[in-house]
This record gives sequence, structure tokens and C-alpha cells, in this order.
Amino acid sequence: MAENLLEVNNLKTYFFTRAGVVKAVDDVSFSMQPGETLGVVGESGCGKSVTALSVMRLVATPPGKITGDILFNGDNIMDKNRDELTELRGSKISMIFQDPMTSLNPVFTIGYQIAETVKRHRKDLSNDQAWKRAIEMLDLVRIPDAKRRARNFPHEFSGGMRQRVMIAIALACNPQLLIADEPTTALDVTIQAQVLELMKGLSKEFGTAVMLITHDLGVVAATCEYVNVMYAGHIVESAPVKQIFETPAHPYTVGLLHSIPRLDDQRGVRLNPIAGQPPDLLNPPPGCPYAPRCPKVQLRCRQERPELKPVGRGEQVAACFYPD
Amino acid sequence: MDTKDQFNPPEAIMPDTGAIPISPDITNPAQSLDLPAPAAVDEKKLQKPPVSPFRESLQRLRRDKRAMISIGIIAFFVLVAIVGPFIYQHVDAPLYKSNIDGNTYPGTVYRSYYHSELDRQDELPSNQYWLGTNEIGQDILARLMQGILVSLSVAVVVEIMDIVLGILIGVLAGYFGGWIDQLLARFTDLMFAFPGLLFVILLTGIFGTSADSFFSHIPVIGPNGNARLLLVSLALAFTIWPLMARYVRGQTLQLKEQQFIEAARTSGTTDVHIILRHIIPNLFSIVVVAATLDISNTIIGEAGISLLGLGVQAPGSSLGLMIADGAQFVNTHPWEVLVPSVTLAIIVLTFSFFGDGLRDAFDPRSKD
Amino acid sequence: MIQFLIKRFIGLIFVIIGVTFITFIMGYFAPGDPIAFMLGQHFTTAQYVSLRHYYGLDLPWYQQYFNFLKNLVTLNFGLSYEIKGRAVIDILKDGVPISLELGLWALFLQVIIGVPVGIFSALKANTWIDTTNQGIVLFMYAIPSFVLAVFAQVIIIALDQGTGINWPVSQWGTPWQYSWSDIQFKLVPILVYAAIGIAYFARLSRTTMLEVLRQDYVRTARAKGMRERVVIYRHALRNAMIPLVTVIGVSVGFLVTGAFFIEQIFNIPGIADITIASISSRDYPVIQATTVMLAIAVVLANLVSDILYTIVDPRIKLA
Repeated sequence: MAENLLEVNNLKTYFFTRAGVVKAVDDVSFSMQPGETLGVVGESGCGKSVTALSVMRLVATPPGKITGDILFNGDNIMDKNRDELTELRGSKISMIFQDPMTSLNPVFTIGYQIAETVKRHRKDLSNDQAWKRAIEMLDLVRIPDAKRRARNFPHEFSGGMRQRVMIAIALACNPQLLIADEPTTALDVTIQAQVLELMKGLSKEFGTAVMLITHDLGVVAATCEYVNVMYAGHIVESAPVKQIFETPAHPYTVGLLHSIPRLDDQRGVRLNPIAGQPPDLLNPPPGCPYAPRCPKVQLRCRQERPELKPVGRGEQVAACFYPD
Repeated sequence: MDTKDQFNPPEAIMPDTGAIPISPDITNPAQSLDLPAPAAVDEKKLQKPPVSPFRESLQRLRRDKRAMISIGIIAFFVLVAIVGPFIYQHVDAPLYKSNIDGNTYPGTVYRSYYHSELDRQDELPSNQYWLGTNEIGQDILARLMQGILVSLSVAVVVEIMDIVLGILIGVLAGYFGGWIDQLLARFTDLMFAFPGLLFVILLTGIFGTSADSFFSHIPVIGPNGNARLLLVSLALAFTIWPLMARYVRGQTLQLKEQQFIEAARTSGTTDVHIILRHIIPNLFSIVVVAATLDISNTIIGEAGISLLGLGVQAPGSSLGLMIADGAQFVNTHPWEVLVPSVTLAIIVLTFSFFGDGLRDAFDPRSKD
Repeated sequence: MIQFLIKRFIGLIFVIIGVTFITFIMGYFAPGDPIAFMLGQHFTTAQYVSLRHYYGLDLPWYQQYFNFLKNLVTLNFGLSYEIKGRAVIDILKDGVPISLELGLWALFLQVIIGVPVGIFSALKANTWIDTTNQGIVLFMYAIPSFVLAVFAQVIIIALDQGTGINWPVSQWGTPWQYSWSDIQFKLVPILVYAAIGIAYFARLSRTTMLEVLRQDYVRTARAKGMRERVVIYRHALRNAMIPLVTVIGVSVGFLVTGAFFIEQIFNIPGIADITIASISSRDYPVIQATTVMLAIAVVLANLVSDILYTIVDPRIKLA
């Protein structure tokens, strides 16, 4: 088996606040292969964004604290110092964020912002070459009239185009892993589809692995090969995308799928939200974090925390006592 | 569903997914996570009864030590200004025989702010003159207390005008808009074009002496050089009310858009009633905070004008006048200029701190 | 850009008219009769009428105002009431280079010292450095300039006596000359004059820098692998500077007020000092002239900062 591109072992990211310790990511382990597209799904506050930020070590470390191992191509990111991390970011691992309206610096042209990354990681290139590369990238993400528009400022672009620019910046140095944190949540539905398609195409073309974080199962279905389902800082289920949708094992995943209204639902049919609230990450209950809301809860669930174990066929794993 | 499982988050700072990193400090690679004991969650807080926002602000204010100390100091100064002279003139004040004119004076005379004994110049503190004397033999402590009284009186008068005019015009402009609003805007622009005290200097410079003769007929003010204070107060009020009106107008505009106003309107409440009962009470916090900070500026303004010789005239006393008089002798008798300077600095800082405290208490979001 | 300039210019004209009109009206209604004052004890009606005519005071008010304005354009501030026939500009002209020197240096120092202090505070937010800075800055901001001036004088005098350095505490050296003696005269007044502005810029730049450091695009810059120094000094700072440009007008406003106090306490013969002296001799045209000059200076400063703002922030479209 090929060496894992990314291997995350026992990642814990805690935040030490005046009110207590917030366990945003509580012992998470997973891995990614080169070129793989992994979706990370869950509600707001489940820890999916923090996981991504922790991989890049972009979390503010006071008040946060990261423990565990993050192996990228065999190297542990947790052992790297500040300089090594800045070498890694933008060139081997890139990240794009949710809100394209505020993610670009308003006082620099977009061409400059792309070229800046290029110049940072490809010291062998001249300014001209970096600028040319910037225009190339703009063409790649299908910004029309790239040569002229490279001299425009972010406020002269729409949201969808700004997100494409972000993608251009992220892919400019041909990273092996692209982390996309809710890249389409802030965009119109039609633009969403375009941007996702773009990302999918580019990742195939350049062999870039993509970690796509989202709360939208539809996005996952359209773009991902594997899926991690997260809840309250834990991964509760992980499987190839088909199995998640066809044979979901964990009650949370089941609940999520059932809560999505379908086009072919009859009128007047009630929606099925999952009852209850996500837990307080300051004082998580012992045992399974989903226990308070789980329709299949047993006594055991409130006392022990279930580990991820294989379920069903193939690579599917889920953290639940229920199948027993 | 087990109610124990409903978790009501206390005032926790939960990281918003996606808005976390401030300044990543990556100089500490993997360390073992030895968790400190989490801060005890205040169970009682979870069940306290709801308190009106006003009382909540008051509670916040009471907890702010700096603000509480400031109020104490302000109260102290008010006390000193009002009863200080009386106490001072009667405590340990034996009859004094003047060497200049041979008369005998009681404490009420030689410890007044205008009496001078020309052979007792530039003295340091003594039993007779607790803070010493100035260059024409006047009691510094007496003049200081009078100066504080002047500062506080001017501040009060100016603030009353500031608040009344500010609320009146501001509410009308914000609520009704139209020509009143336009007028206010033009007027504000104009007053802003006169930087700082320039207008006051202009006004007091040109009309100062005639104000002296004009106002000295009014009792209480009298001919002790205080007549010009009325002009100074008017001038200061004239320059600061536009800003207050602007704040009030802004707040009124915001309030006007709120639903409870609309509800009142649709149920037939008259405009006057809406303004009096709904809008003005909600202006409280912004007006109080602005007024306190304005008081600081007014005190500085009056002191500055008197320092330039355009405010209180001799034999009256003002902190600014004392500073101007004493500044000439900073080489030889620094005491005379330091006493009013330090006093003024304390008063101004105190009002500043108090204003900051009020602002933090009534609008905690405006903190960094 | 041209449209914007024209609009602002028209606004400027309105404000100048307002300021000059108020200044003029005050002078018009000023108490006392300057003509009689100048003529002294005994004079004939003919002398009175002719002097009055010479000063243009027999014209209707609107015509006087018009002349006032017309003369302003040629920097003719009218004639002094104290000395018959002497031009106001003559009285003020010696003070102008001095006040200008004081003001420009103070403005320069405000920016050069205030902004870096504020930025530094922001980068060290919530540490003891920050808290100390905040405390000092608050002190400098809240305390009036004349009190700071007095404190400075007392300190210098104490130092003089203690170490025999012998720095002066008043008066000015030669305008725009910088021999060691000149520096001794000028350094402290300029610093005290600039103090409130330094504090203002320090507070403001700290706030804007903190605000900028919280923005998403700073996070993006880090995610791109930019070194921390680049993130702060290229990405963050460039944005934090923008609001600072807009307060140039405000800080010039501080300077105008401060001029009167600094020149008074330090005995510096600038235009503010001359003006105050003229007030006691009831020479109102002088104070009118100074008021107009200073007000226009502030208005122009505001215009400059508005223009700079449009240049510095690419998001501003000049509608």
C-alpha cells in the first residue's frame, strides 16, 4: 500500500479559556492517500474546522494546545519549527477558507497576491515569471480576461470569482494537499456547483488530495471519495462515500441523512430534525458524545466511549455500540 | 428526555469554527497535555433572575474599581469646593494683625481667596496658610478651593446646557429629519471648522470686558472677576452641544427603526408621547457617557481660557489663572504653579477614568 | 477625481464663508469705538469722520464683509486698531515662521513616534508592555498641554539645579535654525506640544492594528506560508495605516488649540502669543486674522486627509 500522504494520530486540540477547557478536537485519527478526496462533515461546532486548522498548525496556541501526531509524507508536522512550517504552508499543503469576501487582502491586486505565494516558495523564479504564473493560474480557474484582471483589486470581483482566486492562490505552487474549509457555504447555489466542479477537475488534473470540510451532505455526495463524519470533536463514522449514503452505520449519520428534505417528499410531510442540542464542549458528558440524542442509546453508551471499529463491508468504520 | 442532559452553556468562550487563529505561536511543538483544573462553573449564575439592562450596567459599574475610586475622588473635590472654605476659615484661624494696614482680620478674611497681605508673599505652607501664599500674598489653599468651585460650577452649567440642547435638537433632528436635521448638520459642520477653543477665544477675547460690566450686576456672580465666567460657560456650551446632538441624533435614528417604536406608532401613540416615553429614556447611556467626557474637556477649557487671561479675572480665582500666575515664577517658586497644576491633572484624570468606566459599564462591547 | 475635488472644494468654500462671516460679525459688534480710542482725548468731528472712512467703517455691514473677504484672498488682513495704519499682517508676520516651525515639527513627531508606539503595543497586546504603554498614553492624552508644559519646566529646572545643565525653560531660538542652543530651546516645547497628538495616534494605531490582525486575510497570508514578519509588516500594517490618514485633520485641530497654551507657558513669540497680547489692547482685527488663518489651516488639513484617503484605499471609488 502506498505511504499515507497524511496520517493524523490521536489529535487533540483543546482551548484553555476563563470558563474552562474547550475540547474542540478530542482524539481524532484518520489518514489520507495521495490524490484522495476526503469529505469531513458535521454540524457547526463539531470540530471539523479546528481539525483542519490544527493540521496546518494555524491555531492560536495560546489559548489553544495541540497534541498528537500529524504525519505528512512520513514527517511529523508537530516536530517542525516556525520556519519549516512556513515552508510547508502554501507549497505542500494549502488551505482555502469559507468567506471569500474577507479572505483576500483588500489593498493588493489579486495578481500580486498569487504571485506573492509563487515568489515565496519558488525562489528561483523572477518577478516576471511569478506574475506570468499568476496569470496562468487565473486562466486555470477560469477567470476571463486574466491578463487584465490580474491588476484588479479584490473588491472588483464577485464572491464566486474571489473564491476562484483563492483556489488559484492555493494551487499556485502545486501542493499535494488542499484543505478547503466550507469553500462554497457563502456562495450562491449555482456558483457553488461551478466552484466545486472546478476544484474537482483541478484536483484530478494535478493529483492534489483534497480535504473538503462542509456541513452539506449534498456537496459531499457530489465530490468526495471518502467521508469522515464528526460530532462533538470526535469522528463517529468513516467510510467510502457510497457506503455512507447507502448503509450509514452510526445513528448520527442516519439522523443527518434523514433530516435532509427530499425533492420527492410529499407535501405536508414533516421534517425530521435530530432532537436536542449539540453538547457543551466545556463539559462533555462521559461516554459517547451522541448519547443524549441517540435514539438507540443503551446504558453502556453513557459510560464508555466507543472506538471506531469496522462495520459492514469494506473500509467502513463507526464508533457505536449499537450494532452489537 | 433526561433534563440533566440539557446543557446550558455558561459564559463560555467557545471557538467559532473558522474564526479561531489570532496569532499562532508555533514555537512549542508537541507537549504533553497536562490539563489544569478547569475553572469552576458558577452554578448560581445559571439560575439568577433576569435583571433590567440598566441595573445590570449599574452592577458592572459598581464592580469597576477604577470607576468607584474616581467617583469617590470627585465627591471629595465637590465637598472641598463647597464646604472647604467654610471649614478652612474657621479651623485653627486665630485673629491676624496685618503689618500692612494695621487692621486685625479673622480667618474668614485672611483665608479668603481674594484677600492679600503684601508682606506675606511666596510663602511655603505654614500653620496660617496651609498651602502657602502666592506672589501677592494670597492664600493658595483658599484660591485653590475657589478655583475648584469655579471649575465644577462651569462644568455643571455647561453640561446642563449641553445635555438639554443636545437632546432637544438631536432628538428632533433624528426623529423628524427634514429641515431640522439639515440645520443641525450645517451647524455642526460650522462648529467643527472652528478647531477646539478657537471660537471660545474669539468670543471671550472680543466680548470679555463688556461681559464683565454687563454680568456683574447679577447677584452671586458679582464683581469678583467671576462675571466673565458666564460668557465663558455660554461659549463653551455653544461649542460642545453640536457633538452631543450628533450622538443623540444617531441613537434616535437607531431607536426609531426598532420594532417597539413601530408598534407604538401603529397603536396610535402620539409622536410626543413616543419621544418622551420611549426614546429619551433609551438615550440615557449614551448621553451620560458623552456628558462625563465632555465635563473633562470643559474643565480643561475653562482652565485654559483663564490661563490665557480671557476667563476669570483677578481677584477671582481659577485653576487656570493660578497656573498662569505661578508659571511666571517657576524658576524661583515652583510650588505656586505645581499646586494648581497637579490638582487640575487629578480632577481631569478622575473624570476621564470615570467616563471610561461608565462607557465600559453601559456598553461593554466597545472594549477592545 | 476632478469631480470629487470640485465637490470638496465647494464644501470648503461654504465652511470658509461661515467661519469668516462669524469672525467678521463678532468684530462688527465688538464693543467700544476703536476710532475714538485711536484718536485719544481730543479730536474734531472731521478727524473722526476721516479716520473712520480710512478704516472703511462707515460702509454698510455687507460691504464691509465683502471687502473683508476680498482682502483675505490677497492675505490682507486689514489694519490694526492699536497703531494707526499699521497692517495686521505686519504685526503677525514675525510670528508665522515660529508657529509654523512649532506646528510642523509637532505634527511630524506625532506620526513618527505615535504610530510605531501604537503598533508595538498592538503586537504585544495584553502583556505588561502593552499595559504600561496604555497607561502612559492615557496620561499624555488626558492631561491638558499646559499642565504637561508646567511639569516639563519644573523637571528641567530641577535637572538644571541638580546637574548644572542649564537648559532654558522659555523662549525660542532662531526660527528654523538648529544650533545646539536652538535645540535646547526648542526640543521640550515641541515634545510637550506633540504629546497629546502622540497619545492620540498611539491609541488609534493600536486599535486599528488589533482590528486588522483579527481579519481573515491575515489568516490567509499565514496559510500561504508567508513569514510572520511579512504578514505583520506587509499585509497587516498596510491596512492598519488607512484609518490613520483620515485623522490628520483632527490632529491639526489639536495643534491649533495647543498653540495658544504652549506659546503662553513657554513664552514663545508665535502668532497665538501675539494674538493674545493684541486682545488686551483691543486690537480685534488681529484676532480675526488669526482665527481665519487657523480655521482655514484645519479645513485644508481635512481636505488633504480626504484626498490621501482616496489614494491609499483602493476600495474608495471617487463618485
